[in-house]
Amino acid sequence: MNTEQHYAKLTQVFHDVFDDESIVVHPQLTADDVDEWDSLTHIRLVIAVEKAFGLKFSAAEVERLRNVGDLVALIDSRATH
Amino acid sequence: MATARQLELADLTEGKKANVSFSITEQQMRQFAELSGDFNPLHTDAAFAQAKGNPGPVVYGALLIAKVSQLIGMELPGRDGVWASLSLDFKRPLFVGQPAEVEGTVTSVHPATGLVELGIVLRSQGKVLAKGKAEVVLG
Repeated sequence: MNTEQHYAKLTQVFHDVFDDESIVVHPQLTADDVDEWDSLTHIRLVIAVEKAFGLKFSAAEVERLRNVGDLVALIDSRATH
Repeated sequence: MATARQLELADLTEGKKANVSFSITEQQMRQFAELSGDFNPLHTDAAFAQAKGNPGPVVYGALLIAKVSQLIGMELPGRDGVWASLSLDFKRPLFVGQPAEVEGTVTSVHPATGLVELGIVLRSQGKVLAKGKAEVVLG
């Protein structure tokens, strides 16, 4: 699966977690851009991403994420190793 | 005042349990009626409760949830947990003065986020009063 496919899959995860199909997932997207993206929803999002991509992140990896671009880079790095 | 336990993520392995034993007094029922504004006679009027087929006033469901709060806030995981969600199905009523317990069991731990899922069961005299699950974030 390439980066473009990861964004497509991630978009579906975002729509499910936030129950909002209008969210456009792009590299610069952050919690500041989505009203419902609070600390608890962030946890639910991370868990949903892990489940969707069949991955397990560490606490340090999650803490380093600054935006969706970082998240996709993390997914990409796991998918290619 | 009681002191909350301080369990860490590493202490919370799947299957770990904790419980709190309790019974609800008439005074606690009166205090909760005042606090909540819920004076439904099923909870406040013994004759009414008996006419509905109960041996006495039915303990407020929210008081059972209060004991879940004690379990999470004081025992599992205690001081460093933040309660994130609760779903609970009530199966049977509890009556004033009846001994009961609430038990929590760790069902999953998510190290990357600190989210811990607990199975929650309330029992009295060997029968399940309520059953559900709770999410707690350890921070």
